[in-house]
Amino acid sequence: MHAVGIGATLLTVSLFFVGSDWTVLPFLAFLATVGVGWVRYQSELAKGITLLTTVATVAILTLIIGFLLWDAIPALRHMGLELFTRVEEPFWQAPRPDGTYSLTPMMVGTALTTVIAMGIAAPLGIAGAVFISEIAPPRVREVVKPGIELMAGIPSITYGFVGLTIVNAYFYQQFGTPTIGDYFTAGLMIGLMALPTVVTVAEDALNAVPDAMKDGSMAMGSTKWQTTKSVTLPAALSGVSAGVLLGIGRAMGETMAATVMLSHTKGIPGPPFDVFSRWGETLTTVIASEGTHASGTHLSVLFAGGVILFGMVMALSVASQYVEWRMQQKLGGKR
Amino acid sequence: MSNVDRTALVAGKRTVASSLGSGLIAVAFVAFVSSWATIFQWLDETGAYLGFALFDLLGGLLVVFAVGLAVAGLASRYGYVTTTPSDTAGVPVAAVFGLIWAAVGGLAGAAYVGGPAWIVGAALGGLAGAGTAVLPREDVGSTLPAAALIGLMGYVVLFGQINTGWTWEPGWLSAAFPGSEVVPVLVILASLLAFWSGAKAKEGFGAQGRQAGVFYLIGMSILSMLGVLGLLILFITWNGLDVMLTGASLLGGELVVPFVGLGVPFPELPFVTNVTGGLFVEVPGVFPAIMGTLWLVLGAVALAVPLGVGAAIFLSEYAEQGRITQVVEVATNGLWSTPSIVFGLFGMTFLVPRLSGGNSIVVGQLVLGFMLLPLVLITSREAILAVPDEYRDASAALGVSRWETIKSVVVPAAMPGVITGVIIGVGRIAGETAPLLLVFGGQPFPSSTPNVLSSFTFSLSPPFVTNEALLQPASALPYQLYSSITAGVFPKEIFSDTEFGWGTALVLLLVVIGLYAIGIASRLYFRRKLDYE
Repeated sequence: MHAVGIGATLLTVSLFFVGSDWTVLPFLAFLATVGVGWVRYQSELAKGITLLTTVATVAILTLIIGFLLWDAIPALRHMGLELFTRVEEPFWQAPRPDGTYSLTPMMVGTALTTVIAMGIAAPLGIAGAVFISEIAPPRVREVVKPGIELMAGIPSITYGFVGLTIVNAYFYQQFGTPTIGDYFTAGLMIGLMALPTVVTVAEDALNAVPDAMKDGSMAMGSTKWQTTKSVTLPAALSGVSAGVLLGIGRAMGETMAATVMLSHTKGIPGPPFDVFSRWGETLTTVIASEGTHASGTHLSVLFAGGVILFGMVMALSVASQYVEWRMQQKLGGKR
Repeated sequence: MSNVDRTALVAGKRTVASSLGSGLIAVAFVAFVSSWATIFQWLDETGAYLGFALFDLLGGLLVVFAVGLAVAGLASRYGYVTTTPSDTAGVPVAAVFGLIWAAVGGLAGAAYVGGPAWIVGAALGGLAGAGTAVLPREDVGSTLPAAALIGLMGYVVLFGQINTGWTWEPGWLSAAFPGSEVVPVLVILASLLAFWSGAKAKEGFGAQGRQAGVFYLIGMSILSMLGVLGLLILFITWNGLDVMLTGASLLGGELVVPFVGLGVPFPELPFVTNVTGGLFVEVPGVFPAIMGTLWLVLGAVALAVPLGVGAAIFLSEYAEQGRITQVVEVATNGLWSTPSIVFGLFGMTFLVPRLSGGNSIVVGQLVLGFMLLPLVLITSREAILAVPDEYRDASAALGVSRWETIKSVVVPAAMPGVITGVIIGVGRIAGETAPLLLVFGGQPFPSSTPNVLSSFTFSLSPPFVTNEALLQPASALPYQLYSSITAGVFPKEIFSDTEFGWGTALVLLLVVIGLYAIGIASRLYFRRKLDYE
């Protein structure tokens, strides 16, 4: 029974992997095994099935990593490390298979938009978290907190549409930017979008500080703000920084707002911090705008961009988890 | 030192200092709000209000505030009002004022002397600012540098150094900053500073004053942020409502009762019920996109919920808590923060060639399912861990097996949490666009809706069951919005593509916000009802 189930699963996966039309047969066998098992050995089957789902979750991540890397190899072979370090024209001779490609302008673009976004989201997010968990009276908190969570749900394309029709037009008219849409406006909208992530995670961290610590400080006659500043914030510092790290990840991976707002021209701004320049392309936008009709080397370069993006965000995610784990160790006992 | 006679314990009794402070905060608030209104162009920057030009008013407010603040600080210092200041305003405050004044000094040096004089100016300004802040007692140290700065800003605005005609064009940025936009931003910054020092003065400095200062500062930033976001939603509603209600009527439509064949009057909303393209459509609508989103969400839920809940059960009920669960947790959180476009790339290279050979609904469903999976797993796991161990122990004490306990005790108790997580996750993927561009999207303005239910065909050759409609590209609400932005000309004359975009954005927002609201409300409801935390 075990052998049949495992065999059917493995066969299904491997046939699907090679893209065979016959995948359906072992899949039916798998379903039959599950059916029989459900009737006769339910508890054992349940354990096996839940194990299978766990393995599947990890397998999906593994497959994503594997396929991204595999498809990025041709680009690396073609351009070598210059793909990430080349700083002079030509940057992007798409769609020529033997053309020169460089991801540096997009990396600069991603860095610029992320820095601007976090310049907005980090201070305001932390202030928002302090406001919700320490300052706001309960009645205000009941409104503001779900409101912020609701904000996290507004689709990024909506932010992009508003940014395109209002913010871009405003900056173009008032500040005479060379193009409609630049890194600054895109970063502005992305910052607004990353804000709820920072607020939610940082607020959880502030809330996780044991009340005993705060009460001790209040009992010494400190004001609320003295307690927040000298007890709560230092104790929750790692959790708050985990929120900021996650926010950076969100901002880097944000696609749609930037895709509709930027001008999709590739180049490195005059002084690299000129966020109003006519250049506008980030790692995510280049994949979104060119991925549908790219092939060969061009497509492979896009995958290489995906690898950088994935690697950075993954590193940020792991770092923030480590930081949070440290905080839980430090505060001890709780959870 | 007894401060019985210095601290008012009687509520409602107003001291001179607190009245002056309240007045200062009110002035700052007026300046703050009217600057925001100027940025949003509700107030005309060249217009006249109350008989004065707008910017003269703003500058005047700043000057009035600066004088009032200086009076409050000095009055406290020389004992005309009772306050409780500390010995010094503190090093952080001094650092901030030092930096701001260094910037002012540097700018002045560059503007009036030129050349390397800005370094001298910056050094002098920084020293003066930090010195005035840190050396005297707190009541002077936290008012005078602020009053001088706000007064200076008011002066340059009032006497026209920086005004509507003025423009700043730095060589290292490709943008020019006209006075009409710089002034409101300056006034907003000045009034934030004003809130801080005004609130301090109001509470009589000291620990209470510092708390009030910071709380006002934070409160005002949060207020403006929430205001901007509220405006954003209002704006979409305002622009989209007209489009969405085109041709709508409360009883104009007709609903044919099934099996009876009787028509009854029914609300009519063509923008929601019509197709987008096609020859015979009078009011183009977003019906295909709504159906596409519906199919995507159904498919994603069908994939992600069994996988996620199963894995959550295994991780929290069967697996030993240790290295393996930690690895899975890290992987799940990693999957959760993976950029959506990367999921799209993965679907494009792994699923498309194996399933449909092109953009299709089924690949979109799977990719969105992969994106939903980590959220379902994380929330289900939290919900299962939140079920008290007493439940499990009681069940075990009755001799019930582990699986029976999970099935009839743990999962039902965790259900509310799981459902909430799924609803919020669905809200999130319903608005997801990026992967759809790569694996799902079809025509920008579809003239038909995918007919999934009636397209199942059975055959004797290998896949046995095929569904043509599932293997075709389609449209979804966020994708529809994207294509009306990028497609250029809208095929119908009744809307421009921007108008159609606003309408689509509103429908999308309603769907997503509706899902979120249901999710959040159900969580509040269950939390109150079960209270098992």
